[in-house]
Amino acid sequence: MSKRYVMVHDENKCIGCQACNIACRSENEVPEGVTRLQVRVEGPFGEAPNLHFKYHRVSCQQCEDAPCVSVCPTGAAYIDENGLVSIHNDKCVGCMYCVAACPYKVRFMNPITKAADKCNFCKDTRLARGEQPACVTACPTDALYFGDANDSKSEVAQLLNTKITYQDKTHLGTKPRVYRVPTKRGGIES
Amino acid sequence: MNNIWGDMAQYDPVTWNWVIAVYLFMAGLSAGSVLIGIGMRWYSKGGNIETSILKASAIIGPVAISLGLACLVFDLTKPFHFWLILVNYNFTSVMAIGVLALLAYSPLGIAYALIVLRDDLPKWKLGLLAPIGHMLLPMRKVIEILLFVLAIGVGAYTGFLISAMNAYPMLNTAVLPALFLASGLSAGAAGNLIVALTCFNSSPHDNDVAKMHSLDLPVIVSEMMFLVMLFSTLYFTGGAAAEALASLSTDIWASVFWIGVVGIGFIVPILSMFLPANARHTKAIMISVACCSLTGVLALRHFIIYAGQGYIS
Repeated sequence: MSKRYVMVHDENKCIGCQACNIACRSENEVPEGVTRLQVRVEGPFGEAPNLHFKYHRVSCQQCEDAPCVSVCPTGAAYIDENGLVSIHNDKCVGCMYCVAACPYKVRFMNPITKAADKCNFCKDTRLARGEQPACVTACPTDALYFGDANDSKSEVAQLLNTKITYQDKTHLGTKPRVYRVPTKRGGIES
Repeated sequence: MNNIWGDMAQYDPVTWNWVIAVYLFMAGLSAGSVLIGIGMRWYSKGGNIETSILKASAIIGPVAISLGLACLVFDLTKPFHFWLILVNYNFTSVMAIGVLALLAYSPLGIAYALIVLRDDLPKWKLGLLAPIGHMLLPMRKVIEILLFVLAIGVGAYTGFLISAMNAYPMLNTAVLPALFLASGLSAGAAGNLIVALTCFNSSPHDNDVAKMHSLDLPVIVSEMMFLVMLFSTLYFTGGAAAEALASLSTDIWASVFWIGVVGIGFIVPILSMFLPANARHTKAIMISVACCSLTGVLALRHFIIYAGQGYIS
């Protein structure tokens, strides 16, 4: 059966420490000034002393119906055999159509390769070695889950079956594969 | 306060800047100029007598599109790899389809210019190219029809290019290609007029000039209608789309819209129609009004690019 890699971000467990952000930069050699992954800290919400923050992961949503892939004129942005939205650096001319078309604004031009860049779930490095993406491994509170949702025994499949989750901007029809477990104290805003 | 998650510069929703706005303007100008030049030739059954308007459009067509394409190529992060876009095609991408259209449109525009200007080329020390113009003359009808159809495609394509991005409510509307085609006609008529009057010694009283001038009002009125449709679509859609209406009242782009697009681009040309006939038909007034139209179209492209990307759903 084909794979359906998904990531789940549990916003209750997240503390916004950016360990994932740093691990990603190190693993994928992301240059200074640009980033594949950020966790935005929003808030504080509520009244003192009962304050809380919300944590929002900003990275490629690995859309099943990816706008960046359909607008790319050369086919540099493509879906690989495992369904992951990927980039052929040598086919990219740098027209930035994908950067403009991405509703999540998570694509950027890599200042070194001059090609479009973004999170690919570490598919060339850690995933190829059978490991979990760097952000998942580095997370000190285990707020991130990664796996094949088509495998009903996988942790992510069971998580999606038992927890309430939401995805960003589903109204645009992109079918994002980053799911979020909403923080119990805050409302859902996407 | 500093945030802890790092640099936010890459998250600016305005990805495409003024270079792309200038390209959209140049493509519209080129297409509009060619459509008017060829359309008027068919309408007045010109035969092989080249009018100054047609000569003007034969120059503007290829020159404007070449300048526009130069903008486009140097805006790439890898300008010297632009050939990659000519050999790899993804047909779900409007840009790839546009590349194909431009690949046919640009050389045909040059071929048509050589045909129309065959007797003028020796005057500009380009006599070397005149035999090619004469050689292509028998194929004139085919080239003309193809060029006309492709010009409609190029004029509308720039609108489809940006309306394909559904994250931007102001851009993601069906009316944008029509608006760009109409404003391209506006720019084309103005460009043709300026070149015909300054380079080909055309007189403001020429039949052709007067006929082209009579197109101004219907084109401006249709542009206004398309803009009303655009903004009412945003209003009726509601939500993030309705928020984009703030572009009409906030920021520098509201001024660009009201002063540049509406004031200079629409109101000045309309008011000029109320001038007494002898003033209206002087070269100076005609050229000034045409420059206002061009400024208005350039302002419209900037407004759509910047304000359009500024509101994301």
